[in-house]
Amino acid sequence: MGLLRRFLWPAIWLLVLLAFPLVWDTPFQQRLGTLVLLYAIAASAWNIVGGYAGQVSVGHVVFFGCGAYGALATYTHLGLPPIAGLPLGVAASVAIAAVVGVPTLRLSGHYFSMATIAVAELVRLVVANTEFLGAAVGLSGPTVPRSVLDLSFTSSLPYYYLFLAVLAGTLALTWRMENSRMGYYLRAIKDSERAARSLGAAASRYKMRAYLLSAALTAVAGSMYAIMIGFIDPESGLGILISVKILIMAALGGTGTLFGPLVGAAILVPLEEISNNVFGGGGAGLTFVVYGAVIMLLARFQPGGLLELLGRLRARAAGRGARRAA
Amino acid sequence: MGFTKIWAMAGVLAAGLMLPPPASAQDTIKIGAIYPLSGNAASAGESAKAALEVALDIINNPHPELGNIPLAKTAGLPNLKGAKLDIVFADNQGSPAVGQSQALRLITQEKVAALTGAYQSGITQTASAIAEKYGIPFLSGESVAANLTERGFKWFFRTTPVASDIAKTYMAFLKDLKAGGQKVDSIAVVNENSDYGTSIAQVLDEAAKANGFNIDLHIPYSANTTDVQSQVLQLKDKKPDVVIFVSYTSDAILYMKAMKALDYKPAVLIGDDSGFSDAAFLKTVGSIAQGAINRSAWDIGKPGSVTYLINEMYKKKRGVDLDDTAGRAMQGFLTLADAINRAGSTEPAKIQAALRATDLKPDQLMMGYKGVKFDAKGNNELAAALLIQIQGDHYVAVWPKETAVAPLQLPYKGW
Repeated sequence: MGLLRRFLWPAIWLLVLLAFPLVWDTPFQQRLGTLVLLYAIAASAWNIVGGYAGQVSVGHVVFFGCGAYGALATYTHLGLPPIAGLPLGVAASVAIAAVVGVPTLRLSGHYFSMATIAVAELVRLVVANTEFLGAAVGLSGPTVPRSVLDLSFTSSLPYYYLFLAVLAGTLALTWRMENSRMGYYLRAIKDSERAARSLGAAASRYKMRAYLLSAALTAVAGSMYAIMIGFIDPESGLGILISVKILIMAALGGTGTLFGPLVGAAILVPLEEISNNVFGGGGAGLTFVVYGAVIMLLARFQPGGLLELLGRLRARAAGRGARRAA
Repeated sequence: MGFTKIWAMAGVLAAGLMLPPPASAQDTIKIGAIYPLSGNAASAGESAKAALEVALDIINNPHPELGNIPLAKTAGLPNLKGAKLDIVFADNQGSPAVGQSQALRLITQEKVAALTGAYQSGITQTASAIAEKYGIPFLSGESVAANLTERGFKWFFRTTPVASDIAKTYMAFLKDLKAGGQKVDSIAVVNENSDYGTSIAQVLDEAAKANGFNIDLHIPYSANTTDVQSQVLQLKDKKPDVVIFVSYTSDAILYMKAMKALDYKPAVLIGDDSGFSDAAFLKTVGSIAQGAINRSAWDIGKPGSVTYLINEMYKKKRGVDLDDTAGRAMQGFLTLADAINRAGSTEPAKIQAALRATDLKPDQLMMGYKGVKFDAKGNNELAAALLIQIQGDHYVAVWPKETAVAPLQLPYKGW
C-alpha cells in the first residue's frame, strides 16, 4: 500500500508527460509542450542556486547564452552539428560562473542580484560587438538538416522527448542534491547564512558548488533553445528579460521545490503563447497586460508559489477529513 | 465561491483555448502577417499593420482611381472567382522564438496560403524557416539582412532593396554630386551599433572603397543613448564634406537637436531611412533639419497621383503620412496578392511558381522600385531606392532626376 502510494502519483505524472504530445497532437500544441519543457529545464537549473541556495541571480541569461552561442558558433565556424557545441557552451558557462562567482557570491541579498545583472549586460555588449559571435546580427543554425545529428526537425515531437529526457536528468540531479548533505547545507544557508556558518557549514564552498551546477545546466537549456529555434542574437540569447522570465517561472511554481519550476513553466508558457494567439493580432500589447496581471496577483496572494498553495489546500482537506472521522 | 471553482473555470478556459479554431468557409483566402505589435518596435509594426489593411481595402474593393496597381480595379481576386483576401495578424513580440511559434500557428491552425513579415531580420529568419519546412510561400517586404536570401530557400522571396542596393544608390548619388562640382572628398558615417546600423555601415565601407570614395570617419554609437554632443563635436572637429547617419528615431532626433545646439552643419547631410523616415522625426525636428536628404523608396508624389491617394487612405487610418518601411511592407503584400491571383489557386506550389514568374512594371508599383522580378535566390533584382529631401514641412523626391519632383537644394540649410 505504501509502496503503491509512493510510486502511483509519480508514475501517473510521468505517463501524462509522455503522452501529452500524442493526445494534444496539433503542431502548435506539441510546440507548446516542448517550450514548457525547455523553460522548465532553465527554471529548474536556476532553482538550484536561486531557490535552494537563496542566491537570487538575475544574470542567469549569461549561462543560457553560453550554451546557445556554443551550439551555433560550433555549427557556424566548424560546420559540426550544433549539439557538438553543447560541451563547449557548458565549459564556457562554468568558467564564467567560477570567475564571477568568487567576488559576487560574497555579496548578500540585493547586491548579489545587482552584480549578476551587471555581468549579464556586460557580456551582452561584448558579444554584440564580437564579429566571431555574429555581433549584432546573430548566428543561425542549419535549416535544412544535413543529417539527423543536426537535430533540425519539422515536427516538435523529437524535441519534446529530447527535452523531457534532459529535464528528467536535471530534476534527478536536483533531487539527489536536495537529499544530500549539500541540500541541507544550502537550506541552512538560505535561512540564515551567518547561523549556518557559525555551525560549521562551509557556506562559500556550497554556494559556489550550487552556482556552478546551476550555470552548467542553464547552458544545457541554452543549447537546447538554439538547436530548436535555430537562431541567436544578443537580444534573444543574452537579453535580461530571459533571466526575468526564468526567474518568474520558478517563483510562480515555488522556489526551492523540486517540481516548482515545471509547474511555473506549465502555467506561464501556455499563458503567454495562448494569450498572444488570442490578443496578439489586435496589437494593443494585451498579452503582456494579462501576463503581468497574473504575476501581480500571485505576488500579492501567493508569494510562496503555487506548490505551496497546493500543499496548504491539501493540508486543509486532510484536516477536514480528520475532523469528520472524529 | 472557492478557489477550486476558480481553478476549474481557468482550466476549462485554457482547454477551450487549446482547441484549434473551427475551419472557416473557403470563400476568403487567408494570409498570415507577422509583425512586432508589442515591444521595442511596436510603432513600426503598427504602421505596417495599418498599411497592410489599406492594401487589403485596395484588393477587396474596387478602386478604379488607383491606375495600374494590380487588383485595384476589381473586387477580390478575379482569377479566383472574386474571392476576398483576409489577413491574420500575429504579434512577434520582438522575439525570434515567438515569431517562429506564430508562423507555425498561422500555417497549421489558421491554414494561411502564404506568410508575410516579420520586420526584424532575425525574426524573419526563424519564421521563414518554418514556412520553408512546411512548404508555404513567405514574402518579406521589408527585412534587409543579407543572409536571409543566402540560405538556399525555395519558398522565401523579398521585394525590398537590400544593403547592397542601398550602397549602390548612395554611390551613384555621390558620383552625381561630384560631377556637379560638390566637394565629397571626405565622408563620415555615424551609425547606431546594432544589427541595422552595423550592417549598413559595413556595406557602405566596401562600396566606398570599390568606387574610390573615402570614408575617413566612423562614429558608432548606441541607439538608446540620451546624449550625442560628443559625437557631434567630433564631427565639428573633423569637418567631413558628407555625413551619413544610420539611425533609429529617437537618436536621429537627438542628433538634429544637438547639431543646432552646437551650431554644426555639414554641407551634405544624409539620413538612411529608418529614423529619418519616421513621421515623428519630421514633426519634432523637421524645422531644424531643412535640407536633410533621406534614402527612401517611397514618395507621396503630387496631389491626385496614385501614391498620393494611397497616402490619403493610410492617413485616414493612422493619422500620419505613410513612411518608407510600412510602404515597403505594403508593396510586398500587394506583390504576394498579385501572385496568388495569377496562380488562380491557393495551392502553395502554384503560388510559388507565380511568385517566380512575377514581373511587375514601375507603373504597377506604389514604391519607387524599377519593378519586381525575383532572382534565383528570391531577391528583387529591380529593387531600387530614391533620395528625398526635407523642404518645408515634408519630404520631396530630389534624386534620381527621372523621379525627382523638386530640385536638390545644397548645402544643408538646417534651421
